[in-house]
Amino acid sequence: MTKLKQALSALPLALALVGNASASKAPEDILDELIAKTKNDPYLTQSPQNRMMMPDNPAYEWAAEGEKLFKQPRGPKNASLEKCDFGKGPGVLKGAYVELPRYFADTGRVMDFESRLVHCMKTLQGFTDNDPQIKVRHGEKSDIMKITTYVAMQSNGMPWNPPMNHPLEKAMRDAGRELFFRRAGPMDFNCATCHLNPPGTRIRASVLPNVKIGEEWTKAVSWPAWRVGHEAVRSSQHRVLECLWQMRYPNIMPDSDVHIAIISFWTDAARGQPAILPDMKR
Amino acid sequence: MLHKDPIAHAVAAALLTLFAAGCTATGPQKPEDAKPAQAAPAKPDYTKMTPRELAEYLVFQSGSYDLAQPTQEGTTGRDRLTQDEVQKVCTEVARSGKDIDDKTAERINKLSMATIKYPEGGIKLGDWRKGRDIAWSGFGFRTAHNVDDHSRGAPGGNCYNCHQIGPDRTGGTIGPSLTGYGKIRGSSPEMLKYTYEVIYNPHAYFACTQMPRSGAKGLLTQQQILDVMAYLFDPESPVNK
Repeated sequence: MTKLKQALSALPLALALVGNASASKAPEDILDELIAKTKNDPYLTQSPQNRMMMPDNPAYEWAAEGEKLFKQPRGPKNASLEKCDFGKGPGVLKGAYVELPRYFADTGRVMDFESRLVHCMKTLQGFTDNDPQIKVRHGEKSDIMKITTYVAMQSNGMPWNPPMNHPLEKAMRDAGRELFFRRAGPMDFNCATCHLNPPGTRIRASVLPNVKIGEEWTKAVSWPAWRVGHEAVRSSQHRVLECLWQMRYPNIMPDSDVHIAIISFWTDAARGQPAILPDMKR
Repeated sequence: MLHKDPIAHAVAAALLTLFAAGCTATGPQKPEDAKPAQAAPAKPDYTKMTPRELAEYLVFQSGSYDLAQPTQEGTTGRDRLTQDEVQKVCTEVARSGKDIDDKTAERINKLSMATIKYPEGGIKLGDWRKGRDIAWSGFGFRTAHNVDDHSRGAPGGNCYNCHQIGPDRTGGTIGPSLTGYGKIRGSSPEMLKYTYEVIYNPHAYFACTQMPRSGAKGLLTQQQILDVMAYLFDPESPVNK
């Protein structure tokens, strides 16, 4: 019952956000267009059930909570996140998510969305690494996951467009490409093991997305997404972590440069394709 | 001849890179490996590095990975990420986007064949039921945020992730279908030996294949390989029904 109530209370926000998006298209409309454009690409069409559930994506509830968390004065400095600069100026959220990772002069670092959000929570709100607000990155107790969903949705339908103006942006993207092909671990896997196969290639029953097929790849990198099997909204960094776990690699630290290099490469690989935010995945 | 081989050349360059990158660090990282990325020592100028140098730096010196994380085989995360010869060569092949050249392939075949150890009692098919369980199982050797506890059960072979095998379960399509394996190929001693070798170290035949080296990397025991082979060859196995 509370779930339903939450869903209903989230609905106006969902509608408002959808209304604000570039062409007023819902994430499922963007997916449908990609499916039509590719004449039923096997990766894009693999789950009709998920496609049907997209209008009721539970990620909208997370976004509604994320909006409250974003606007509420919080932390030792009792400040909201409304002055956070995600790259398009303080407080500009529309279109910010599809232009990340990018170089930030104030940190001298290329940052993805999550590391930038953490930076704002520390500098504007005064949170530290040991606070649960920063520490808890995944699951329904994660503020970061909810705020991420709220902000990301405001780039729904916009083309991925990570800037490549600063030499560090290029350096991280290019290092990410090297990492994509780097084989290691007891099973000799690299990212290409799963993400550079002919269309329709499956791992068990799951159709894998190919990094070189833009229409597939934009869906693959459209995080946050509700993971049906996890009953949770998941982030880009969580996707990296899960892949590395399957690859038998050691644990990766939140906001690490390996994350950011990989995410720079994968976002660049989806350049020009419309983001599906929030998405729904298996 | 070696310096005429572009891949050997690239590998040598990569090794030099590793060595050079090692010199710029503040020293070998040990327990501090586990600290968050922000705690890493002062960064060098990433734009002064080649993409490959930067990639190696990010793996080993940026504080990105928990390099000290213990593994099930008694090594560390650092060992898991350190590339052996085959991984280095195959990485360069993958980065090139081209097929492996004949000479390099031959070298990989040869050094991979040399890793294969055969069962003392000869290659005798094991139990196909056990082999099916091994082929189905994706358990084992995962670490990161959710460590597989091998005291809970033996690691599996992950075969189904990439191969269709029996008709009773959906397998992946990264590798070829193995349905009807024994029925199609027969079970001559040569076919058994070949199959054992391919499972043990597939690079002996297919240089830079995506398939893991289940025997050579200690992912499966010799007996487990013989059980998986029974699943492939035994006329009673669903694979051959």
